[in-house]
Amino acid sequence: MPAPRHRTSPFRAILRIAKKELLASLRDRQTAIYTFVLPICLYPVIFWVAIQGALLFQGRREHTTVSIGLARAADAVIPEGLPAALAGPLPADPEGSGQPIRVIEVDVREEPATHAEAEAWALREGSSDADALDAVLFLAAGDEARAELFYDSTESRATVARARIEERLPPFAQSLRAQRAIELSVAPDRLDPIAIEMHDVAPSRDRGAVALSMMLPMLLVIMAVMGAFFPAVDLTAGEKERGTAETTMLLPVPRAAIHEGKILAVCATAVIACFLNLLAIGLSADHLLASLGSAIDFRIELPVTALLAVAPLALLFAFFVSAVLTGVAGLAASFKEGQAMLGPTQMLFILPAVAGIMPGLELSPAMAFVPVLNVVLAFKAMLVGKALYLEYALTAGALLAYALAAIAFAVRLLSRESVALSGKTLPLTNVLRLLRSGGAHR
Amino acid sequence: MDRPAAIEARGLEKVFHDPQRGDVRAVSGLDLLALEGEIYGLLGPNGAGKTTTLRILSTILAPTGGTARIAGVDVTRDPLEVRRRIGFLSSSTGLYPRLTARETLEYFGKLHGMPPEELRARVEELLDTFDIRPFEHGRCDGLSTGQKQRVSIARAVLHDPPVLILDEPTTGLDILASSAMIDFIHSRREAGTCVLFSTHILSEAERLCDRIGVIHAGRMLDVGTLDELRERTGRRWLEDVFKALVDSSRETSAIASAPGGARA
Repeated sequence: MPAPRHRTSPFRAILRIAKKELLASLRDRQTAIYTFVLPICLYPVIFWVAIQGALLFQGRREHTTVSIGLARAADAVIPEGLPAALAGPLPADPEGSGQPIRVIEVDVREEPATHAEAEAWALREGSSDADALDAVLFLAAGDEARAELFYDSTESRATVARARIEERLPPFAQSLRAQRAIELSVAPDRLDPIAIEMHDVAPSRDRGAVALSMMLPMLLVIMAVMGAFFPAVDLTAGEKERGTAETTMLLPVPRAAIHEGKILAVCATAVIACFLNLLAIGLSADHLLASLGSAIDFRIELPVTALLAVAPLALLFAFFVSAVLTGVAGLAASFKEGQAMLGPTQMLFILPAVAGIMPGLELSPAMAFVPVLNVVLAFKAMLVGKALYLEYALTAGALLAYALAAIAFAVRLLSRESVALSGKTLPLTNVLRLLRSGGAHR
Repeated sequence: MDRPAAIEARGLEKVFHDPQRGDVRAVSGLDLLALEGEIYGLLGPNGAGKTTTLRILSTILAPTGGTARIAGVDVTRDPLEVRRRIGFLSSSTGLYPRLTARETLEYFGKLHGMPPEELRARVEELLDTFDIRPFEHGRCDGLSTGQKQRVSIARAVLHDPPVLILDEPTTGLDILASSAMIDFIHSRREAGTCVLFSTHILSEAERLCDRIGVIHAGRMLDVGTLDELRERTGRRWLEDVFKALVDSSRETSAIASAPGGARA
């Protein structure tokens, strides 16, 4: 008997299988709706979750110590009691212990003598690079009853500083006005009120970036999970239900190539879903925010550079998610049971993603090894332009390792006879036993 | 019998582990030899081990014991090479519902590594041979049972395999489709292909097979031409031949399992 004349390489086989599975997935109406349409409709729910998370962290913000530079014009005087009023308890709660505010008196001059002076000058001039001072309160000269607060709203500590000044400065200004009126023996309303102006030195684009950094990383994870969910079920449990699992097992290519091709197709769908969703955000966000009018003082532009930077990490993450979901869905015997199995599984990705947007949680070398959280925090840092190169590299390495481990897990699991040909759904608790079981052809 | 072996199994075994029932022996020490150009029928009742045997030979399942070679290639050592040399068809090998008939053939052809020109010519040939052309662009989930069967056969023979393994190929088909399948099996004999097919329909085996293997409880009870089986059992009709072999097997098992039976 003559040997077959033709061969196809495993790599080409993987690509062909992925192409066919992708085509089949896209031809399925349910997959298309749940993968591409539904995630877009879910944004309002996601925003609500993000707000709840931010409120949870509000308590933590209460204990943050902020540093405020107290500066004055050359001929201005710092009113007696102002530093104590800013650092002390709220007027409404005089018995309270107050919030941790450090007030640093600085002179603002063109040739600053100290670092704090330099930062105060820079903040007043519109720079947002301060690190020692979170905000600077500038008192205008002479008879001009005016105080100006300069801060960078893209820094969470600066927004805390602004909030605390807003709570304390107006009551102090009022008491100062009343005291002055008594000194002049006039009614307080005969005196000009002390004007308090807030100046956000962050460029409007940066402010938009901060807003994006609060939601986009989480959305990226959710989009990837939603994008992979239905194809993962369709190409595994769905295939068993349709009675084509044995047909696939007869393909003249290594079994590993078949499963890798499926994972590649699932990953491609996840990436396409992410791309379409980002495009939808980019096209609609600015328009939606503009419709809110002057209530919103920042712009949202899709940060192309940050997206390009995060793309390799997102791709590795998409492989990781796709492999885990495909492997788990392979335990189910029908599409419906596959959906039921992946419901709890997807929360393993979504919950850490929601946690990742909490203010104050930032990428560190240790965090770079926490799955899901690492990609969320890395993207968040990239969006606000932080140069954490070591952490980014560690995140990429960790994601690569997790993706490869997940692919190996899925391929091994799906290759078991007891999984591939099972007529009933296998419980998740059996995974370890199944992985150790024999009966698998190459 | 001077033709070379196309399918050769020795002491084939398959044990499944079932959490409730423990180890279940589906195939037990089965020997099988089918030659090039031969139509070999595997005859047995439901649950006899026919499907498991054919799944092992087609590399869907791995054996837990024994050896099997297809066109000289060991199913355990080189299952990929075995898959290149067989065409397999059963009620479990459905068509991909979202691909068209043409796309299905092209997909399998590409994965067999067929060059584009050769694949195109072969697909055109099969579309005509099996009269698929009128519905070649229709998605498989919209085809009738008979149309699906034609596409499945075309898929199985696309790469012109020297061995065809068919698991109860006429089950679920209407009279016309069954007749077409029987004609197809006949035609493969003329092409020199070895066809191994399982059935529990005795008339099919009688009509088509060069030799028949009777399988029961995972073991091969007897093998031979219909005349040889008739001679050995002293029965005329295949149905009676089959029953005689199964009854004889049960008696042997009962003796072997009786106290001291194994030494008898």
